[in-house]
Amino acid sequence: MGNVIEVENLRKEFKAYSSRSGLMGAFRDLFTRNYKIIQAVHDISFTVNQGEMVGYIGENGAGKSTTIKMLTGILTPTAGKVSVNGMNPHKEREAFVRTIGVVFGQRSQLWWDIAVQESFRLLKKVYRVSDSDYKEHMEHVIETLDIGPLLDKPVRKLSLGQRMRCELAAALIHNPPLLFLDEPTIGLDVLVKLKIREFLKEINQKYNTTILLTTHDISDIEALCDRVIMLDEGKIIYDGSLQRLKENWGEGKQIQFTFSQEITSAELHPLTAAWGVKWSRGEQDNSWIAHVPKAHVSEIISCIVNHYEIQDLNLYEISTEEIIRNIYEEGVAHG
Amino acid sequence: MFYLSVFFQYMAQYIKTKLQYRTDLLVEFFSDLMSQAVNLIFILVVFGHTDLLHGWTRDEMIFIYGFFLVPFALFGAFFNIWDFNERYIVRGELDRVLTRPVHSLFQIILERMELESLLGAVTGFIIMGYAGSRLDLDFHWYDVPIFLLFVIGGMFIYAGVFIALATISFWSDARSSIMPMMYNISNYGRYPIDIYNRVIRYILTWVLPFAFVGVYPSAYFLGKKEWYVYSFLTPVMGVAFFVLALLLWNAGIKRYRGAGN
Amino acid sequence: MDKYMEMIRIRFLMMLAYRTNYYTGILIYCINIGAYYFLWSAIYSGKSSIQGMSIEKMATYVAISWMARAFYFNNIDREIAMEIREGQVATELIRPYNYLGMKTMQGLGEGIFRLLFLSLPGVVITALLLPLHFSTDIHTWMYFGLSIMLSFIINSELNLLAGVIAFFTLNNEGLLRAKRFIIDLFSGLILPISFYPDWAQEIMKYFPFQAISYIPSMIFTESFQGQAVVNGLLFQVIWSVVLLFPIYMLWKAAKKRLVIQGG
Repeated sequence: MGNVIEVENLRKEFKAYSSRSGLMGAFRDLFTRNYKIIQAVHDISFTVNQGEMVGYIGENGAGKSTTIKMLTGILTPTAGKVSVNGMNPHKEREAFVRTIGVVFGQRSQLWWDIAVQESFRLLKKVYRVSDSDYKEHMEHVIETLDIGPLLDKPVRKLSLGQRMRCELAAALIHNPPLLFLDEPTIGLDVLVKLKIREFLKEINQKYNTTILLTTHDISDIEALCDRVIMLDEGKIIYDGSLQRLKENWGEGKQIQFTFSQEITSAELHPLTAAWGVKWSRGEQDNSWIAHVPKAHVSEIISCIVNHYEIQDLNLYEISTEEIIRNIYEEGVAHG
Repeated sequence: MFYLSVFFQYMAQYIKTKLQYRTDLLVEFFSDLMSQAVNLIFILVVFGHTDLLHGWTRDEMIFIYGFFLVPFALFGAFFNIWDFNERYIVRGELDRVLTRPVHSLFQIILERMELESLLGAVTGFIIMGYAGSRLDLDFHWYDVPIFLLFVIGGMFIYAGVFIALATISFWSDARSSIMPMMYNISNYGRYPIDIYNRVIRYILTWVLPFAFVGVYPSAYFLGKKEWYVYSFLTPVMGVAFFVLALLLWNAGIKRYRGAGN
Repeated sequence: MDKYMEMIRIRFLMMLAYRTNYYTGILIYCINIGAYYFLWSAIYSGKSSIQGMSIEKMATYVAISWMARAFYFNNIDREIAMEIREGQVATELIRPYNYLGMKTMQGLGEGIFRLLFLSLPGVVITALLLPLHFSTDIHTWMYFGLSIMLSFIINSELNLLAGVIAFFTLNNEGLLRAKRFIIDLFSGLILPISFYPDWAQEIMKYFPFQAISYIPSMIFTESFQGQAVVNGLLFQVIWSVVLLFPIYMLWKAAKKRLVIQGG
C-alpha cells in the first residue's frame, strides 16, 4: 500500500503582533507595529500508509491543529512539501477535499437551523454522490451510529453527543479514503465515546480508511491507534507505535504500601536505595508509593515486608497518560 | 452546471429555513421598505426647495433611484457578505467552508443568501414605472436586454467592491467597520455625477464606481445622450471589478491564518 | 466610578489597535462630507439662502453633523442584542457593575476616541477643502459641547432601549436596522429639520430624534440664536430624562424574565 500522507520539512510561521503598553504606545502602534515570527510548525516530516490509524498528540499550542489545517488544505504552508492522497492540498483544494473527510469537534459542520437530513442532502450534492452510492453507504452509517431518529431534527436541538454522531456521518457521506478528526470526543460522555470508537474501528476495517486523529483523551488513542505522533513546540518528538512507547518509557511499576504505623521517607529510603527506588507519599494515611524498576519488584516487596508491618499492598502499571506526561516533562523521547 | 445545481440545492434549504422564522421575514421587509422611504423622502424634500438639480428634474431623480434599487436588491440578495470578517474569520467558519469541494466564495455567497432583499427590486420597478410615466419615456424592445445588462453590471460592481473589502480581513487582523460606512458612499452614485468636483467624480467613476449603479445607466433610459458612453461602460466595469475582486479573494485565501491562533 | 473609567480606557485602547479602521474612517468621513457638500451646492445652485440658511452655513452644518455623529454613534444596541442571543448576558449580570451603565461607558470610550482621532483631523481636512464657517464666540462652543454630550446620552439611551428589546423578541436585527434609518432621517443628519414641510416639523416635535443631530448642529452654525439655543438644550435635557423610564421598566422586566427562564 502506498503512502496516503507524505510530509517533508513542513513549516508554518505566523506573524504575531505585539502591542506597546499604555496610551502613548497604542498611539505609536497606529504608525508602526512590532511583530515577531512564531513557528507554529517547525520542519516536521512523516508519512502515513493506507489503512493506518494515527494519533496525533501534543499539548495546547504544540501545532496539532495547524498541521491538520495544512493537511486538509485550509492553511497554506510557509515551506516544505505536503502530499495527501497524491495531491497538494491547498493547490488543488477543490479536487482534493473530495477525497477526505474532516470533523472538527469544536465546530459544527452542519447547518444550524435545518434538519440533519437536509444538511446531508446538501452535502450529497456538494460532494456529487450518486443516489445509489449514498443509499448503499449511508444507510449502513446511519444504522451503526444509531442516528436514524435524529435525522428530521434541526441541529440546534441536538445534544452534543447526538450532534457529534451526525457530524461524523456527515463527514463520511462521500466515503472518503482518508479521515481527519480534530478532537472528535471532546466533551462527550463515556457511552458516546465508546460508540464512536467502535464505529471508527469498523469503517477502518471495512473500507481500509486511513484515520488521523488529534485528541486530549489518551484513552481514544489507546483504543484506536497503533501509532502515535507526538508534537512539542512545533516539532515531532516521537513517532512510532504506542506499544514501543510503553516499553521504552513505561518500564517499571508502582507499588503502594499501606503501613500500620506512621513512617517517614528517611526510614524507607536507605532500605531500597540499592535498587534505585523513588518514594512518594500516597493518598491515604500511612501509605507510600514506591516507583520501582521492573526487574526488582519481588525483592523490594520482600525487603519492605520484612522490616515493617503492612496492612495493604497494591501493584500498578504506569498509565500511558503518565508516560506521556513524563515525556513532556523530560523533553525529546528516545526511541 | 454543477454549480447551478448546488445553487438550487442551497436555495431550497434557504427557503425551508426562512419559513421557520416568518416574523423575522416580515420585519426585514419592513426595514427594507423603511430604507427605501428614507431615500425617497430625501429627494422629495430637496425638490420642495428647488426645481432642478443641475439640470435634472425631480422625476428624473426619482427614476434613477428606482433603477438603482434593482441591482442593489440583487446585490443584497446574493452578496450579503458585510459580516464576513466576524462570521467567517473570527468564528472560524471559513475552516469548514475550505474543507468542501466548491469554490469558497461561492459557498459563502450561497450560505449568506437573503432572497427577501429581492422585494427591493419590486419597489424599484414601481418607482421607475411611476417616474417613467410622468416623464413620457420612449420604450423599445431592445431596452429590455439593455436593462438586464445594466442591472447585472451594476450588481457586479457592488459585489466587486464589497468582496474586495471583505478580503481585507485576510491581510489585516483588524475588525473592520468599513463595510457599513461604504453603504453611505454608495448612495452618492445616485445623484447627477456632474454636481461633484473632479476628485469625487473620479472616485465614483473609477475607484468606487457606484455611479455605474445609478446615474450612468439610468441616463440611457432618460435619453441623456451625453452620458451614453458611460451608460454602456456599465457591464464592462461590472465584469472588470468582479474579476478583480475574485483575484484578490483567491490571493487572500492563501494567506488565511485560521481561527484560534 | 473607577471601573467605569477603566472601561472607557480599555475601549479607547481597543479602538487604537485597529488601525485600518482608523485610516479608512477618516477618508470615508471626508468623502461623505464632500459629497453632501456638493449635493447641497447643486440644490442651492445660486440661491443665497434656503430656510434662512446660507450655503456656508449649510456646508458647516453638514460637516459638523457628520463629525458629531462620529462621537455619538455607537453599536451598543447590536452588542447587547448579540450578547442576549448568545447567552453571555447572564454572566455579565453576575459581575459587580451595572450592565447597561457599562455598555454606555464602552460607547463613550469609543466616542471619545473617534472625536479625538477621527473628527478633529477630519474637521481640519474638510476646513481646508470647503468653505466652513467657525464661530469665534466662546459661548457657542460651550453650548455646542453641552449639546453633543446630550446627543450622546439620548442616542445611547435609544440604543439601550432597542438592545434590551432583544430580550423579548428572538431576533431584532430588522428592528435595529429600521431604527437606524429613522435616526438618519429624523435626527437631522441628512436634512435639517427646518427643510421639512411644516406639518412634518410639527410631528417631529413630539419625538426625541432631532435632539441627536439637528440641535447641536444648529447651535454650532449659530442658526439658533438666543432663546432658541436654550429651548434646544432644554428639549435635549427633557428627553434624556424621559427616556430613562422606559429603559428602566424594560430592563427590570428583562432581568425578571432572565431569572425565571434562565436566559
